[in-house]
Amino acid sequence: MADFIQLCVNGLALGSVYALAAIGFVIVYAATGVVNFAAGQFVMLGTFAGVGMITQGALPLGLGYGAALAAMALFGVLFFVLVYLPLRKSPVVTIIIGTVAIGIVMQNAVLLSFGSWPFRLPSPLDGIMLQIGGAMITAHAVMVVAVTALLIGLIWLLFYRTALGIGMRAVAQDVEAARLMGLPVNRLLALSWVLAAMLAGIAGLLLGPMWFADVNMGDPIALKAFAATIIGGFGSLPGAIAGGLFVGLAELLGASYVSSAYKDLIAFGAMILFLLVRPQGVFGERIQDRG
Amino acid sequence: MLAAEDLVVAYGENVVLHGLSISVAAGETVALIGANGAGKTTLLRTVSGLAPVRSGEIRFDGQPLGRRAAEARVRLGIAHVPEGRRVFPGLTVAENLILGTTPWRRWGQSYAADLDRVFDLFPRLRERRGQLGWSLSGGEQQMLAIGRALMARPRMLLLDEPSLGLAPRLAEEVYERIREIAAAGLTILVVEQNTVLALAVADRGYVLENGRIVLAGAAADLRQDVRVRQAYLGR
Repeated sequence: MADFIQLCVNGLALGSVYALAAIGFVIVYAATGVVNFAAGQFVMLGTFAGVGMITQGALPLGLGYGAALAAMALFGVLFFVLVYLPLRKSPVVTIIIGTVAIGIVMQNAVLLSFGSWPFRLPSPLDGIMLQIGGAMITAHAVMVVAVTALLIGLIWLLFYRTALGIGMRAVAQDVEAARLMGLPVNRLLALSWVLAAMLAGIAGLLLGPMWFADVNMGDPIALKAFAATIIGGFGSLPGAIAGGLFVGLAELLGASYVSSAYKDLIAFGAMILFLLVRPQGVFGERIQDRG
Repeated sequence: MLAAEDLVVAYGENVVLHGLSISVAAGETVALIGANGAGKTTLLRTVSGLAPVRSGEIRFDGQPLGRRAAEARVRLGIAHVPEGRRVFPGLTVAENLILGTTPWRRWGQSYAADLDRVFDLFPRLRERRGQLGWSLSGGEQQMLAIGRALMARPRMLLLDEPSLGLAPRLAEEVYERIREIAAAGLTILVVEQNTVLALAVADRGYVLENGRIVLAGAAADLRQDVRVRQAYLGR
């Protein structure tokens, strides 16, 4: 039982990271129609932004987190200006391939600047363990879940309770009608990329202390976030959250109760099953109907 | 208030408007009638900045609009209710209306009075304020699209086929509201295939054929005009 609780908390923590990556993925997809294949590399970059500021830059944790997130926000702007804007008039497939290319560039740029040796990113709660129902759980895992829950709340407030977020949803649904409302379409699209980059950054900072910071960490994250969005429902925010948590739990419970060799089988098996039987995912209705 | 002169608009090689000139005075309701494909929608899209001008000029309040973007034109007071209504399908009625206030509203400014005015004009929208755009009937969507444009506190309203796809009674109801909006003093340019309805609310009218104005005059005269009656009124 203690083992089970421990696995569940760790699974939820890992799932939270997948969910954050998936939410960023969904925000960009809903707003621009672009499937961002670099989403996993965004998370990797977030971890290495943390490594650069905290492990190497020796900034105190709070400041380091702030600096890493600012760097990720800037990266979101750059991505919008240098990748999305020049390609936005081309077929959406071209942009998607562009994201694949940029993902490869990002991976190699990080390899070039940080080397292939893995780093460890500290956590503010390093070494603190909590005892829940007889299970020993790292405080970091609990923090990951709490931070994710808080972020989901904030994202919900943004999209459903502020004029800014309503405008972002409007741009996602009908760009031309949004222009007729006087909405600053390009700024709102840029904001989608910034938001996605910052969420990926937070995911990377939270994931760093749980895994090693490694230049190849982005690929498995991209695949898991992708599986999460398909299981939850492509383009659906609640779907991204539910899918992310499911994939994280399936991975840790599967590794422990089946075999670590099969830990990915459950998540990807579920994804394939959904593609075959219910391609619209759990949250089938499209909250961001593109009109 | 609005003047278009020698307007030429083309999509690639395909010229849609061939040197068209129209004007709308402040407080006037002007109808632009013509068959499908005559260029009516293109004219409105050009005025609101969605379609580029090849040559000629559009002036609003005597000021040339030039290459000003659509976002800037709505801030000048030109509110366009586009063809097919273009209500945001995944946004509620209230959210659609709030977006209408974008041109003038600064952070924290209240729009309650504007909302009340729209809800008084279209009581159905008040009942359905929490419903998503896609779930509304065609008539309700048209009311929402017009209401959303009014939330912009426009000085001029461009209406593209407000009767399109509506049952006759609903179309009449929508035009009844348009008449009220016009009576309140708003300048309106309405484009319409339903000639009877449009000429009933308009002060003046233009007949558009293949991108050219072929007839212009007071709405009352156009209603009696033999050519208009034969071509558009079916009698």
